[in-house]
Amino acid sequence: MDIMLAVLAIFGFIAYVFLNFGAKLPRHRHGDLFLAIYGFCIVTTVAAGLFVPWHSVFRWQEVTAFYGIYGFAACVFLIYAAKGLRFWLPKEEDYYEKKGGMK
Amino acid sequence: MIGWLHPGLILILGAFLIPLFKGKWRQGYLLIPPIAALIDVILMYTGVFGDIPFSTWRLPFLEYELVFGRVDKLSFIFGLIFTIATIIATLYALHVKSSSEHMSQYIYVGSALGVVFAGDLITLYIFWEIMAIASTLIIWHGATDKAHRAGFRYIMWHIAGGIILLAGIVMYITTTGSITFNAIGWSSSSTYLPSLLIFIGFIINAAVPPLHAWLPDAYPEASVTGTIFLSIFTTKTAVYVLARGFEGYDVLIWLGALMVVYPIFYAVLENDLRRVLCYSLINQVGFMLVGIGIGTALSMNGAISHAFGNILFEGLLFLCVGSVLYRTGTCKCTELGGLYKTMPLTAAFCFVGAASISAFPFFTGFVTKSMVMDAASNAHMALLSVLLLLASAGVFHHAGIKVPYFAFFAEDAHLKARDPPINMLLAMGIAAISCIFIGVYPYSLYQILPYSVEFVPYTASHMIGQLQLLLFASLAFVVLIKTGLYPPEQRKINLDSDWPLRIAGAKLMWFFEGPLVNFATWVDNGLKRIAADFSAYGEEKEEKVFIGVSVMLALLFLAMYLIVQLAYGWIFAS
Repeated sequence: MDIMLAVLAIFGFIAYVFLNFGAKLPRHRHGDLFLAIYGFCIVTTVAAGLFVPWHSVFRWQEVTAFYGIYGFAACVFLIYAAKGLRFWLPKEEDYYEKKGGMK
Repeated sequence: MIGWLHPGLILILGAFLIPLFKGKWRQGYLLIPPIAALIDVILMYTGVFGDIPFSTWRLPFLEYELVFGRVDKLSFIFGLIFTIATIIATLYALHVKSSSEHMSQYIYVGSALGVVFAGDLITLYIFWEIMAIASTLIIWHGATDKAHRAGFRYIMWHIAGGIILLAGIVMYITTTGSITFNAIGWSSSSTYLPSLLIFIGFIINAAVPPLHAWLPDAYPEASVTGTIFLSIFTTKTAVYVLARGFEGYDVLIWLGALMVVYPIFYAVLENDLRRVLCYSLINQVGFMLVGIGIGTALSMNGAISHAFGNILFEGLLFLCVGSVLYRTGTCKCTELGGLYKTMPLTAAFCFVGAASISAFPFFTGFVTKSMVMDAASNAHMALLSVLLLLASAGVFHHAGIKVPYFAFFAEDAHLKARDPPINMLLAMGIAAISCIFIGVYPYSLYQILPYSVEFVPYTASHMIGQLQLLLFASLAFVVLIKTGLYPPEQRKINLDSDWPLRIAGAKLMWFFEGPLVNFATWVDNGLKRIAADFSAYGEEKEEKVFIGVSVMLALLFLAMYLIVQLAYGWIFAS
């Protein structure tokens, strides 16, 4: 329960910063503020990962920032694998209409 | 009261009264049957039956007794979420004028409830088939030429699945002598084949690749509101019957693993956002199948709670994309963009759905999916754990980022739009609040699960691990978008496992409509010429299409007959 509260507090803090600074910053800088908070979150989760007790079954789950590295790699792999599949799978939208006599 | 009132009956009977009401009266009436059904389900839990685990209402059928109502924890939780989802979906569909669409939706839901509360295989089969037919009617209410054709392909899949299921059930009943629907399983050699056939019948409805193609093919062709209903019931009843009949069967683990990984690639490729969500639906059902396959108390709880949560958040995403389609007339990535300015509330609800499905802490997906993930690693299945993690990143990419990004941000497509009418917003609001409520207070869901829950979702390692996974996966997306390396969306459709069937089907239809009909007309003309000598028989022009279709139907019935004969022969041989 306390960890839930701790993370809620962090979220609340971020929201506070976002609303407070966001109101003062000019509109075109909002993206930068968002990126700053985003970076802050990433660094925080990696740093927090160094300190929390991992209850893990496999050894690789204990590697520093394993979930982060895996998530990044998985996403890149996924996008490029799907790009590779574009060689075969995508067809024009009326592909079946042209192919088949099913009218 | 007559002791036990079937909630499905309320909806099915309620459906037939819809045409009696008009205008505002109909809108008011439409909400009554689902709310009554929900109250019925809640009452059957607390008061009426108390601690009695099996309460039954019986009807003699041949020498067997059909059991229409079996209320235990498993059927209760599915009955509960089905009726809640019906209220949300009905609220969303209130503005729809067509009474026949509402009727087919209620009959569809009623039969899904019939499957859930069925205590025996015959009752299960009857409702199973009503569900298949009612869902086809919903697809046809898409009222386009495409929907019409997709509906035919859909019903063919489900007739095939239904025949296999029927053959399995008939063989199973004759082998075991009992029609009770409990754990089936192919434990002994005498029930191996019947159980396998029943299993195949079930997994066709669960959309396990390569038998999944009907889902992304047909669901997005239904109307805006029809898709919502479709996305909820067929696959989840399949999850229910698998949880009841095949708990702890290893093959489900690997089918589930295939299900979670296969569709994520398609979801990246797909341009139509409703199809993206359909692939995402298959992926989510995969998590449930993995949970059922592992078969521990933790994993079963995970599978069932994930089914519960998924109906809410997957439904919410379908509601949001449906609203976009309703207002802009399209839901293709290539045509959308920048809608957050004109549809801010829809965008906000979509974020809640996206966060829930990608299992962000404090949202529903986190408290349900992590049970399945934990069960997999507790069972020391390294490969499975890695695949589930890959799939989690995949879900986040397509449902968590792609759907909100391409609909509401990306390049502004300058579409004229505004937030949908109040009933649609209310439906989305209820779903979104439920997603957050269960995420923040998971014990509300945990206490109604079939097994007692000792699982604690909010531990430091769970939260940090999940946040790392999600943040870095989004980082990959951000980096690729910012550097321009992200492959642009294409206006294309993607071939799926039904490709050979559709091509072969087209060829078969050509054969029926071309050479076969020519031959038939030739024979016919010959006969007519002979007959003309005897009588003044007028010539009639036959429609070629009708002959083709009727020949195909005749062949289909022949195939049915053969399968029944095979089953029959098998019974006497054993």
